[in-house]
Amino acid sequence: MRVLRTVWLLSAVGAMLLPIYVMLVVASAPDDTDLGGLVFNGFHLPENLAELFAGEGFPVYFRNSVIYCVGSGAMDVLFSSAAGYALAQLSFPGRRVLFALVVGTLALAPMVMIIPVFLIVKELGWVNTLQGVIVPGMISAFGVFLVRQFALGVPKELIFAARVDGAGELRIFLRVALPLLRPALVTLFLIHFLAQWDNLLWPLIVANDPALWSLPVGLANFQSEHGFNYHLMTAAALVTAVPPFLLLAGLQRYYVAGLTFGGVK
Amino acid sequence: MTLTTKSVEVPVPAASPRPGKDGRGRSRREAGAGIVLTIPVAVFFVVFWLVPFCGAVYLSFTDYEMAGVPRWIGLDNYARMLQDPGVWNSAWITVVYTVCTVLPTILLALLVAVPLSGPGRLNRVLRSLVLVPAVMPLAATSMVWVIIYSDRGLANTLLGAVGIEPQSWLTSSDLAIWALVVMVVWKSLGLFVIILTAGLQALPREVYEAAAIDGAGPVTTFRRITVPLLRRTLLFVLVISVAGSMQAFVPAFLLTGGGPADATQVLPYYIWANAFPYEHMGYASALAMMLLVAMLVVSIVQFGFLRGGDE
Repeated sequence: MRVLRTVWLLSAVGAMLLPIYVMLVVASAPDDTDLGGLVFNGFHLPENLAELFAGEGFPVYFRNSVIYCVGSGAMDVLFSSAAGYALAQLSFPGRRVLFALVVGTLALAPMVMIIPVFLIVKELGWVNTLQGVIVPGMISAFGVFLVRQFALGVPKELIFAARVDGAGELRIFLRVALPLLRPALVTLFLIHFLAQWDNLLWPLIVANDPALWSLPVGLANFQSEHGFNYHLMTAAALVTAVPPFLLLAGLQRYYVAGLTFGGVK
Repeated sequence: MTLTTKSVEVPVPAASPRPGKDGRGRSRREAGAGIVLTIPVAVFFVVFWLVPFCGAVYLSFTDYEMAGVPRWIGLDNYARMLQDPGVWNSAWITVVYTVCTVLPTILLALLVAVPLSGPGRLNRVLRSLVLVPAVMPLAATSMVWVIIYSDRGLANTLLGAVGIEPQSWLTSSDLAIWALVVMVVWKSLGLFVIILTAGLQALPREVYEAAAIDGAGPVTTFRRITVPLLRRTLLFVLVISVAGSMQAFVPAFLLTGGGPADATQVLPYYIWANAFPYEHMGYASALAMMLLVAMLVVSIVQFGFLRGGDE
């Protein structure tokens, strides 16, 4: 029974890793002659990466992706922590309406919103601009909701004590609540970064200037730029996958906390 | 519940029963802080969610080709949808795609998560490894699967090993949708394994000990204890996977471009194609409304299913 279970688990996980292995093999190939992906045909990954980064587009897409993800992730942490804390701990007019508005948007699919959001961005003159790519996705209902749920757990006594000591409300938020919210904020930044890193639809629509493309848009246009060059395309996919893997390696428990948020009760 | 201009020293009753006993003018400062801290988010959600949502509803009743101005045409877009074979094709493909990605993924995830949730160093290592596909960006994943499905790729190599001749996975209108389904099952499996594993680890140990004492075998334990106790987590996984599949755009866009001959033109792809390359903003908005309503109906059914099960 034990053996059977181990064999099943190892083969299931092996099958899940097989395409990753294929990616490593093809990304290291010198050319496209063998795409079967099971046997390494030399190790030309460094040459392939050098060729990619020597190109015109790829370094730009990589840099853009980093800017978009760090920029909008930081905005989300900033604004969602403020709003999530306020929604959980402060009493103010409009609190319920705002909470309903934020939670209500969780039901709306991006594909439903993308047309009117594009028209608004066009109206603002933001098509083909940095702010056009970043701003419409910079705050997530998920983030506000995550921080709010977490902030509900901040002990009221701590906040009362700070008030008795004469601390102002904003100071209490910054000095008392924010340090306690740190794990939730790390989770939020991580989830936001990963989602934004993989966001193809919005940059595809709002930026047709290649100088503003992110990695997913660059990958989508890879064949029109480089022709059928599968080993190079796979190397590009590999580079795209590395930053999420590095983040995951360092912050796995925050990632799992984010994934299972709402799932386990 | 309104802000007054009175000086803060004057004691006022708490604005709401929430802030509690320390009232004494704090409530107004508290309200001020609450407003300051939430204003950016409030403005953001009005400008980028509420207004666009109302805009989408409005546009769905107009003829709007991007270059001109929206022209009110009442229900014409909706009437046109009923007669558009592209809509029926997309709706059917979306149903097939959703059912055939969601059910196998959840079933497989459960079969992996149950043995994987136990203690032990091997399980811990494997739990980290199953995260790898989950964290792969979908754009990168799609590129790798383009290679796997290419003429001399892994899919045909594996088929060749069992004596089946090579197939053109992405350019055959019979196979393309299944090629997408397999990739998406692979991509979401790790994610669901992790969510289910976390759910399983939160289940009370004592129930399993009691079942073992009563001599229940693994199959009985799974059917009678694990699945019922895991109901909420399973529902969560079901809801997010159905919603994800109904909105899936990237696999069809990157692997097949909706083709061949519209065979993988899922509804989100059809909406995007109408809105952006073709600039039929009004009609695309009506299609988006149809998707939204379909998603709402499906989630209501799912939650009804949960409530029914709790009684």
